[in-house]
Amino acid sequence: MPIQIPPILIDILMNFSIFLIVTLSLNLEVGYAGIPQFGRVLAVLAGAIVAGAIPGRLLVLLYNIQVEWKGEIITPLGSEYANHLLNFPIIDQINREILYPNPALSIFIFILTLALAAVFGALLGYLSSYPALRLREAYLGITLLAFGDALKLIAENYQPIVGATQGVFVPNVYGWIGRGGIQFTARIVIMLALAALIFLFIERLSKSPFGRTLKAMRDSETAANVYGVNIPRIRGYTLMIGGAIAAIGGALYAMYTGSMKAITYDRVTWTFWPWAFMMLGGTGNNFGMVLGVFIFTIFRTLIFSQKFLLEAIIPIQVAWLEYIMIGLVIVLISLFRPQGIIPEKPDPILPKKHIEQIRERVVKKK
Amino acid sequence: MLEVLFPALVISSGIALSAAGITIIYMSTETFNFAHASFTTLGFFIVYQLLLMYGGSPYYYFIPAAVLTGLVGVTTYFTVNRWLLRRGATMVTLMMSTLGVDLILFGFINHWADFIREVFKGEPRSFLLRVYDFEVAEVFGASLKAIVPISLFIVLIIILGIHTFLTKTKFGIAMRTAIENPTLAKIMGVNIEYVYVTAWFLGAFLAGLGGAVLSMVETGSPYVGIRYIVPLFAGSIVGGLYSVFGSLLGGFLIGLSQQLGIYALSITFGAWITGYRPLIPLMMMVLALLFFPEGLGGIKWSQVRKKIGLFGGGE
Repeated sequence: MPIQIPPILIDILMNFSIFLIVTLSLNLEVGYAGIPQFGRVLAVLAGAIVAGAIPGRLLVLLYNIQVEWKGEIITPLGSEYANHLLNFPIIDQINREILYPNPALSIFIFILTLALAAVFGALLGYLSSYPALRLREAYLGITLLAFGDALKLIAENYQPIVGATQGVFVPNVYGWIGRGGIQFTARIVIMLALAALIFLFIERLSKSPFGRTLKAMRDSETAANVYGVNIPRIRGYTLMIGGAIAAIGGALYAMYTGSMKAITYDRVTWTFWPWAFMMLGGTGNNFGMVLGVFIFTIFRTLIFSQKFLLEAIIPIQVAWLEYIMIGLVIVLISLFRPQGIIPEKPDPILPKKHIEQIRERVVKKK
Repeated sequence: MLEVLFPALVISSGIALSAAGITIIYMSTETFNFAHASFTTLGFFIVYQLLLMYGGSPYYYFIPAAVLTGLVGVTTYFTVNRWLLRRGATMVTLMMSTLGVDLILFGFINHWADFIREVFKGEPRSFLLRVYDFEVAEVFGASLKAIVPISLFIVLIIILGIHTFLTKTKFGIAMRTAIENPTLAKIMGVNIEYVYVTAWFLGAFLAGLGGAVLSMVETGSPYVGIRYIVPLFAGSIVGGLYSVFGSLLGGFLIGLSQQLGIYALSITFGAWITGYRPLIPLMMMVLALLFFPEGLGGIKWSQVRKKIGLFGGGE
């Protein structure tokens, strides 16, 4: 019996898992390491570019798919692959003939895409560490923002990678699971599971010596330096991990929607909204991220699903109302509750049980 | 060539004026105003709205647009910025709060655009005010529209006005003191609150004026701000962030290099390259931040003169 999840719930859960991944990566860089990452979209877009550009071409190469183009039979790998006339038939053929009947290959392509996206995201994070070591605060923020805009501009204009404004389709790696409801249920389960894994990873990381080093660096760079923390290296690692995770989010989103258009990856959606989610939840607290993203996702999906009802009552379009609401949340949070809903708590360095044991031992000795 | 140069001059003036506004707000309050490009869009829309209501020439509405936008700036100060400054919020929090203001303004401007379309039957998502402009002369076969000399004249007036204000009036001198050393200024009895309000008013005033100037050559839409935020910041940053005149110069440099640079490149490489136009201010901004953080305003001209050996080698 196919399991049916209502479409609205699918929408909520999909947005929740993607934005949770992106916001967690933002929180690692902003909340723990104190790097003003105003260019989150850079890594997200990088992941989406990988998903749009690489798995399809790889399958074309492996299975030697050929198409007719300008009177010649060619193997479309370069700009022909991203051509909007050829791309759809190619992807359609890949999906129906190669991926749907072949679960093992589908899973392999899925994992490979995520891995490549992570590598590419980490590479861009490494490149961002060049300004991150030289600039401070807002100057760094604006430089990172410029990096994100620059990649978007290139992806939007340079056709051979991902088809510029026309975009490309992304092979459907979930096709083997089945059709309709069950496939979407499986997609949601996979994405939620990945989001949970990333949550656990970042939570572990933030409790590890590395996480404590980040907090020390954030609170006082000089003090951390005095205690022998290699600031450039730690900042570089943080940007690489953050970039890799955000790129996984971008690749997942592109594979979920089945198409990759550079125009979707704008700085408002993929940088400023995660910032708003993070500020609402509580900067520097991973559970806060879950709460912040959850509240916003429910809120956004609900107002959009009730669009017609709402527009009959209030004299303003829901799309604009959304901007005003998110703007208000950012302003109100920064004015009245800068620590967010769940404030950051100082982490005990050892588990509570150990501390109790040590205390008992010390008390006995006395 | 002249057909390209004339609009480029107007766009540069618009960018220069708005960029000077960013610098004024940043100098006095340490706030990178993300809402600045929305202030510029407000300049576009106020001119358009008043034109639809009262007719005539867009030039009548330049001053109202600037003053009204200035008041929006003052409102932003009193509702948001003031409380964060009092709390001593970090630069990133200050910047983030103006981002919230920017999103609110963006939503508001879009709603306003719907309103203009429904009530005034206008075309708020792509309006061309240049059709109201008139030709003042013909230079080598290219028509010189009135906005070209007017925009340059406005920039000149602003330069003279700000210079007089900052060097000749008592309040202007107090403002400079407060920017250089707020604590000392407070001890000497300067009311720093007035300084902040004035900075926000002047900054937003210049953004509105810049928007009004730009509206005479650019197609107006609610998305003007999103397109212009990078050139505006680039102008201010290339100008060095601590000098109003530097940012005016930086605005001109950014405006001219993006308009004329892409024109020169498109002759060499073909028209496809115009899509990369926004990359020019982006790159100039990043390069300025990384390698030239003092900007144009930080260049010690007397030393440059000495090196070149002009004007008798400076002081």
